[in-house]
Amino acid sequence: MVKPIRIHWIILLPLILVLLASNSRSKEKPFRPKVGEFPPLEKAHSYQGELTFVDHANRRGSIRIDGNGRFRFVAPSPFALLPYGLVRYQGAPADLRDIPLGTVMHVKAFLPPDPKISAVPVLPVDNREKKYGYSGTGVAPAENHVYLLEDEPSHCKRLGLVWRLQEVELKEKAGTIIARREAQADKGKVLSETFSVDATTRFWRGRERLGITDLTDEKTWPKNGKKDLNDQTVFLGISWKPTPGGVFKRFHISDVWLDELAMERAAQIQNETHKAFVKSRWMPGWVDKVEYGKFGRAKVTVTLFGGMDDSLYADFKKGQKAMLASSENTLKHWAGGTAGTAQMASRGILLEISKTNKRAPLGSSGIQVSLETDLVTEGFRPGKVIRIRPESWPLLEVPREEYIHHTLDGIEKRFPTPDIFPKK
Amino acid sequence: MESILLKLKFSRWVAALHLIVFILVSNAIAQEKPFRPEAGKFPPLEKAHSYRGELIFVDHANRRGSIRVQGAGMYFRNKSHPFAMLPYGIIRYHGAPAELRDIPIGTVLHARAFLPPDPKLSSVPVLPVNNRNKTAGYSGKGIAPAENHVILLEDEPSFCQREGKVWKLKQVEIQNNAGKILARCESKTGEVKTEEETMTFDAATRIWRGRERLGVEDLVTEGIWPANGKKTLNDQAVLLGITWRPTPKGVFTRFHVSDVWLDDTAMQRAAHNQTETHKAFIRSRWMPGWIDAVEYGKFGHATVTATLFGGMDDSLYADFKKGVSAMMNAVENTLKHTHGAYGPSHMASRGSILEVVKKDAAAPLGSSGIQFRFKTDLIIEGIRPGRVVRVCPGSWPQVQIPREEYLGGNNPEERFPTPAIFPKY
Repeated sequence: MVKPIRIHWIILLPLILVLLASNSRSKEKPFRPKVGEFPPLEKAHSYQGELTFVDHANRRGSIRIDGNGRFRFVAPSPFALLPYGLVRYQGAPADLRDIPLGTVMHVKAFLPPDPKISAVPVLPVDNREKKYGYSGTGVAPAENHVYLLEDEPSHCKRLGLVWRLQEVELKEKAGTIIARREAQADKGKVLSETFSVDATTRFWRGRERLGITDLTDEKTWPKNGKKDLNDQTVFLGISWKPTPGGVFKRFHISDVWLDELAMERAAQIQNETHKAFVKSRWMPGWVDKVEYGKFGRAKVTVTLFGGMDDSLYADFKKGQKAMLASSENTLKHWAGGTAGTAQMASRGILLEISKTNKRAPLGSSGIQVSLETDLVTEGFRPGKVIRIRPESWPLLEVPREEYIHHTLDGIEKRFPTPDIFPKK
Repeated sequence: MESILLKLKFSRWVAALHLIVFILVSNAIAQEKPFRPEAGKFPPLEKAHSYRGELIFVDHANRRGSIRVQGAGMYFRNKSHPFAMLPYGIIRYHGAPAELRDIPIGTVLHARAFLPPDPKLSSVPVLPVNNRNKTAGYSGKGIAPAENHVILLEDEPSFCQREGKVWKLKQVEIQNNAGKILARCESKTGEVKTEEETMTFDAATRIWRGRERLGVEDLVTEGIWPANGKKTLNDQAVLLGITWRPTPKGVFTRFHVSDVWLDDTAMQRAAHNQTETHKAFIRSRWMPGWIDAVEYGKFGHATVTATLFGGMDDSLYADFKKGVSAMMNAVENTLKHTHGAYGPSHMASRGSILEVVKKDAAAPLGSSGIQFRFKTDLIIEGIRPGRVVRVCPGSWPQVQIPREEYLGGNNPEERFPTPAIFPKY
C-alpha cells in the first residue's frame, strides 16, 4: 500500500521543482524588450481602452483601460510608444496626433525596456493583477510601453474580423445596437456586444457621410422601435460615453462604415496624412552596425521601422543621396543653430538597400539601408534610434516642440519624466 | 502787444503741461491697472486681445492647452503657448459649440483672451503684462501674450460664420494631387476684404459637398480641378478648415487647408454633427453657470439666482423651465465637478426652478442672458455669488462621469492645477 505512493512522490517531486523553479524564474525575470531587438508580439500584454490624453510630441498619452470593473471609475493609465511602436487609425498608419480623444484603442504593450528613462510611471511588474476598487483588475498594467496601438477598424482589418449588426432599437434619434464581431471567413471567435448610438454617430457609405436621420428618412432604420439588421457586415469606430440607466460599461459607436469603399476612402485619407507626416519628419529606424573609416567617415547600416506606406520605403534607392540624423526614443529630432534639423544631419550616399525574405517582426520594415557618410557622430551607435531622409523628400523645418535644441534644452527634453501625469 | 503774446504763450504752456501731465498719469494708471476679468462679471469682448494659432496640446479635463501663436516672425520656430479657458469661455468648431476634446491637434484657431483673472490660481504660466510686445528672436513679436485666459476659441469656419465672412478661391496650382491655393477672406457682401493668402493642400485635404466627402483626386477625376498646372477658380465662395504643416523651399509661414466646404449644405451637416456631440456632452456634464445671488432661508433652505453660461445650443436652454426639478453642483474654474464617485447627482443640491428670465438686452459673450431662480433645501459653501456651478434640469439623463472629470480627494493640485505640466523652452 505504501510503495505506490512513494513512486508517485518520486515522479511528482521533479515536476513540482521544475514548476516552482520556472515560476520563480518568470517572476524574477519578466520579459523586457532589449535595445536593438524587435520584441516578439506574442510576449506583449493586450488590453483595450479609451484614449483620454495625448502628448504627441513625446509620443505618449493616457488610456482608460477596460478591466473587469466599472469602466467610468478607471483612472487614465499613462503609456509611451516604443520608438518602433506602431499606431494605426482607420486602417492606415497614423501618429498619436491623428487620433481623436475618446477613441477606443487596442493595445499590445511591454514592460519599460529601461525603467530609469521611462517617460511614464514605472509600476510594479505584477500590477496588471492589482485590484483598484470598483475599477477592478487589469486597469493599470506595468506593461505601458506600447508596441501596437490601433483603433477598432484597424484591429478588425489586421485580424480579418468584421462586425455583423443584429438589431437596432431607436427612440428620438438615439438608442442601442446589438452587434457581433467575428472572423470574416469563418465564424470562429464571436463577441456579441450592445453599443449606444446617437445623432452624433457618423455613417459612411461610399463617398457619403450620413447621420441617423438620413437612415431613418430613407427608412433603412426605424424612427422608433426595433429592427432586425440581418447580420449586416460593417466596420465600427468605437468610443465611450457615460451611459444612463445604471449601466456601468457600454461602449458607443462613433462611426459605421457601411461598405468597403467607404472604409478604403477613410484609410486613403489617413494614409496620405501619415505619408506627408513621415516625409516631413523623416523615416525612423535604428542603427545595426557602424563600420568606421578614417577622418570621420563611416558606413552606417540601419533598419527602417515598420508600419509605413510601401511608397515611403520605395523612395530609398541605391546610389541616392540621403540625410541621417540621430534621434531619441521619442523620435524627436536634434537641432542646433538657426538652420533647423537638417543642419545637424549627416549627409551621404545610400550604398545598399536590402529587404529580408523572412517575415519581419512587427516594428521592423525588414528593410536594411547602408549609408556612407563623412560625418559619423556619437548618435550613430548600434541600437540607437535615427531618422533618415532620402533626397527626394522635401526639406522642411519641424516645429519647436518636435526637436531638442543642443544648447537651449535641458535633459528633461531628451528624457521626459512622468511628472506630467496626475498621481493616482 | 508783447505782454499779450507772452500771456498767450504762457497759457499755451499751461495747457500743454496739463495735457502732458494728464497723458502721463492716465498712461501710468493704464500700465498700473491692466484689465482683468472680475469674478461675477462677464468681461467686455472689446477688451480682449486677439490672436490665432495652431492647437498643439490639449488637457481637456482641465480645459487648457497650448497654441502655437502666429506672430510677426518665422512661424515654425514659435514655442507652444499655454492657454486656459475661462469658466465661461466658449469653444466653437465647425460652426457649432464644442469642447477642447472635439478639436483635432493641428487645427488653427482664433482666440480672444484676457489676462489671468487671479494670477495666483492660474493653471497656465503667468507672464509679464506687456509680454505681447516682447520680441522672441526669429519668432518675432506677439507669440506669447500674457492674455492667455480665453473667452472665445473658434476654428476658421466658426470665425468666418460669426463675422459673416467667406473665403473666395482665386486660383489652384496642382501637381500629384497636392499644391497651392490662392484665396482671400472677405465679408459675404464683399465690402471688407483682406489680403490674398497662399495656402497648401494635399491628397489628405477633405472636400465636403452636400453629403459627400471628397478628396482632391475626386475633383481632378470630375474635371473640376486640373490634374497638373494652374486653374482660375473665379472667386468660388467656400469655407475653409485651416491647419499648419512644415512648408518646403524656405517658406516660414504658410498655412494648410485641411477641409473645404463647397456649399452651405455641407457646412450645415458638419455643424449639425458637432452640435449633437456638444448637446450630448452638456447633458451628461450639466450646464455651467455662476451664482448671482443667494437668499438664505432656514435650516439650509435658500433661493439661488444663477446665470447660465452662453454659447450652447438653444434646445439645451429650453430645458430650463419654470416648475421643473433641477440639481445644482458646485464646480471649479475648470468646470470640474467637486465630487463624482457616485455621479455628480450624489452631492448635488436638489430643488425646483421657480422662475426663468431671459434678458432682452444682448447678453455679453460668455453669458446666455438667461437667469433662473432655484429653491433648494441644501445650500452649501460652493453656492455663493460669483462661484461657478453646474445645473441639470430634471429631464436630462443621470449618468456618471469619468474619473478625470471630478475631484476625488483632498489634493489641492486637483482643484487648482498648476502650470507645471507645460514644458519650458
